Amino acid sequence: MRVLLVLSLLLFGTQIIAQHQISGAIKGQRGLPITGANVYIVGSYDGATTNLEGKFSFSTSETGIKTLYVSFLSFEDYSLTADLSEFKNLEIKLKEDVNMLDAVMLSTGTFEAGENSRVTALKPLDVVTTASALGDFLGALQTLPGTSTVGEDGRLFIRGGGADETQIFIDGMRVFAPYTPTANNIPTRGRFSPFLFKGISFSTGGYSAEYGQALSGVLKLNTIDEPDQEKTEVSLMTVGLGVGNTQKWDKSSLSINANYTNLAPYTEALPNRNEWISPLQSMSGEMIYRYKTNNSDILKLYGGYSYTDLDLIQQNINFEEGFRFANENRNLYINGSYKSFLGNSWILNTGFSLSNDNNKSQVGEDLIDNNDNSAHLKIKLRKRINNNFEFNFGSEYFITDFDESIESNLIGDFDYGFQSNISAGFGEVDIFFSKKLAMNLGGRVDHYELWNQTLFSPRASIAYKSGEFSQFSFAYGKFFQNPSADFLKFNDTITAENASHFIANFQYVKSKKIFRVEAYHKTYDDLVKFDTEFPTFTSSYNSTGSGYASGVDLFWRDNESFKNLEYWASYSYLDTERDYRNFLEKARPAFASEHNLSLVAKYWIEDWKSQLGFSHVFASGRNYTDPNSNGFLNRETKNFNSLSLNWAYLIDKQKILYFSVSNVLGTRNIFGYNYANEMDMSGVFQREAILPNTDQFFFVGFFWTLSDDKKSNQLNNL
Amino acid sequence: MKILSIFIITMILGFNINAQTSYEKRMEEAFNLWEEDKTIEASSLFERIAKAEKDNWLPPFYAAYTLVISSFEVKDEATLKLKIEKATELLNQASSSSPNNPEIMIVKALANTAYINFDGQKYGMTFSGKNEYIYQTALKIAPNNPRVILSKAEWDMGSAQFFGSSIEPYCKDIKRALGFFQNEEKSEVKFYPDWGEKKAQKILDDCEG
Repeated sequence: MRVLLVLSLLLFGTQIIAQHQISGAIKGQRGLPITGANVYIVGSYDGATTNLEGKFSFSTSETGIKTLYVSFLSFEDYSLTADLSEFKNLEIKLKEDVNMLDAVMLSTGTFEAGENSRVTALKPLDVVTTASALGDFLGALQTLPGTSTVGEDGRLFIRGGGADETQIFIDGMRVFAPYTPTANNIPTRGRFSPFLFKGISFSTGGYSAEYGQALSGVLKLNTIDEPDQEKTEVSLMTVGLGVGNTQKWDKSSLSINANYTNLAPYTEALPNRNEWISPLQSMSGEMIYRYKTNNSDILKLYGGYSYTDLDLIQQNINFEEGFRFANENRNLYINGSYKSFLGNSWILNTGFSLSNDNNKSQVGEDLIDNNDNSAHLKIKLRKRINNNFEFNFGSEYFITDFDESIESNLIGDFDYGFQSNISAGFGEVDIFFSKKLAMNLGGRVDHYELWNQTLFSPRASIAYKSGEFSQFSFAYGKFFQNPSADFLKFNDTITAENASHFIANFQYVKSKKIFRVEAYHKTYDDLVKFDTEFPTFTSSYNSTGSGYASGVDLFWRDNESFKNLEYWASYSYLDTERDYRNFLEKARPAFASEHNLSLVAKYWIEDWKSQLGFSHVFASGRNYTDPNSNGFLNRETKNFNSLSLNWAYLIDKQKILYFSVSNVLGTRNIFGYNYANEMDMSGVFQREAILPNTDQFFFVGFFWTLSDDKKSNQLNNL
Repeated sequence: MKILSIFIITMILGFNINAQTSYEKRMEEAFNLWEEDKTIEASSLFERIAKAEKDNWLPPFYAAYTLVISSFEVKDEATLKLKIEKATELLNQASSSSPNNPEIMIVKALANTAYINFDGQKYGMTFSGKNEYIYQTALKIAPNNPRVILSKAEWDMGSAQFFGSSIEPYCKDIKRALGFFQNEEKSEVKFYPDWGEKKAQKILDDCEG
């Protein structure tokens, strides 16, 4: 019996000795206790959750050298390896994880759209349900501050920069002809349908070193990685029709879309200011293939082809019978990208884009035929060292081969063109000093083969989080861009234009409210100048132009104060002058307005299953030259106003009816004036107003989705 | 001597039983915490068990499930994202030891629903399509699983209410799910998910009431 006692004592004894008591407290960097942190011994079930005072205590039957592990959301994991007996009354401080959502952001100059971004200025649906946008994502972006309303053009004009100073990228690869062809005074639209993209990042200045060849802005579009399901979509619109089909397999998917647009019924039914010989029609097809490997590498291939033609006579004060303009455009665009996780926190991004854009135009009596073959190749590597430091570097190559020929009774027949290749290297480091302070430093080097010239552009930005919801940031950068093909085709001795940006930004984001103010100053140098009315061969060119732009952009968005209502307001003040092109002196260019204001509101009416949208765009007057008085760009047009409404009605889960009217009030907006070349008998240059093709635009569409689940619809397609 | 051998045998058996059940004991402890509404503690414990039980899908499944459920009450987006991202990681661990498991799939869909619930305008478009796909795939794999039928019916009811159409057909689905619940055999795997019957009954009462 005694043996038993000894034995049992021994047995129980070892058990008692083997029970280690582990205890301690967990705190954050500022000494505040962390509640709910998970503390445990790796490889055992033993552990505890910290209490309100951040304290934990548990016992374990493990022995020897073990690892104690602590994890808590938004903090970096902590581990300590030592003998179990030392895990007593531990004082552990956790480091805040700077990559977490409430950390400071390097976002000067940039607006994000899409569900992956932390601060979303535009939601995916906004891109297509903003009344004034008429279903075009470029239209939606023009309700953000920093853009100027140039109603007769439709392209993106950013902070005093011309439209060709903004570049568009799809999955990191350049788009060479992003806009649909059109005639004077008829706004263009984006070539790409918004539902291809899961995220849009719109930068109005100070962008990363990865992006070059853009003086004023970049628009980055990221295509979706994987469609949700198989479906067929049909849309019938007053301007045309479209069909699309998506097939999905285990690792890959294929989407095919075809669209046909014809404005003939529209121009027949509604009055407009042009005489159409052949109203605009276009046919386009696109195909996207996506493949995802087992370790999440993604390959994407996009191919799109479109054909557009139009033929019209526009009123012109210098041509009694009007001015004929016809265009036939063929565009082929191929974009491929590959993203690979190489392991050890290295990520490889590589891709190519190829474009062939061909225009056969009749301008008055002249026949102009041009052909643009361009390509972009890029490779980029990104490495994350730790939560506080990451870097990326890469290189890219742009090829442009442009040929044009003209047949003219007036000046004869000519062939001309240019070939311009640019190679570039770029690199950047991101340093997070803490959750509150971060910095990005980078630079790129572009080499222009045409002039055997190498140019360096430094970039820097710094951001400081001043409060729980607010942050300040600053950015500086120098940007170079090849002169436009409009000049290069006639003269290839002019060199790259450049701009410097200085930007200060304050941002306040609290749940579903965003306030943002950004002030900037930009200087332009080496802008192209010429000495004739239009750029021609005979013009003499130089790169001595310069200019500046300063301003303030304000943005306010509120999605929560009123039930079912979302609204935003943007205001931009712009002070800019340039001496470029054929300017006689420094002046505010005709496309720039001093004040731009947009108000957008959307209201969801549950009982009607409808979303009503409203948007108002205001722009102050634009400069024009009145030859009847002295000076250059010496007059200003009246203000621009346009109120647009839309109504999206969900007939059922798969059918949507959509109405939209632009400029409801029928405001007669004037973009500028054309003056007669000759004085009339009383010694006055007569003029005519530059007006839009139509004051108002109506759009009615019916969208129908067929899918297995009978539930998805084309809300995103509007 | 007889007593001693019995004692030793008991001890050894006892240890063995202890060894066998230390997983079970911990799991039960976690379920108890959960029942006491200590969801965070329960989730942490499930997570600890998941760390030790690399090849068992149940601990990470419950760690994720409790996280997802608690994320429905989250008021700020940053925390929501952190919770769902962590839950997704756990669910990925679960599905790597048990691929094509409909029980895991419906929790994935529930995580997406948490996003939609937070901000329908922002997340609805992307996640509703994903959920449709998940529920259909789950239903193909397990057409008679009452939790799959229940979850899909609940989801369908949500969107039917949004579009103002009748929820009637989905009440029938709930009824069908209840039938399967009543005949569901207790799984041989301990802690195999068996939730849902009470919830189904409650929804059915609402349907009929």
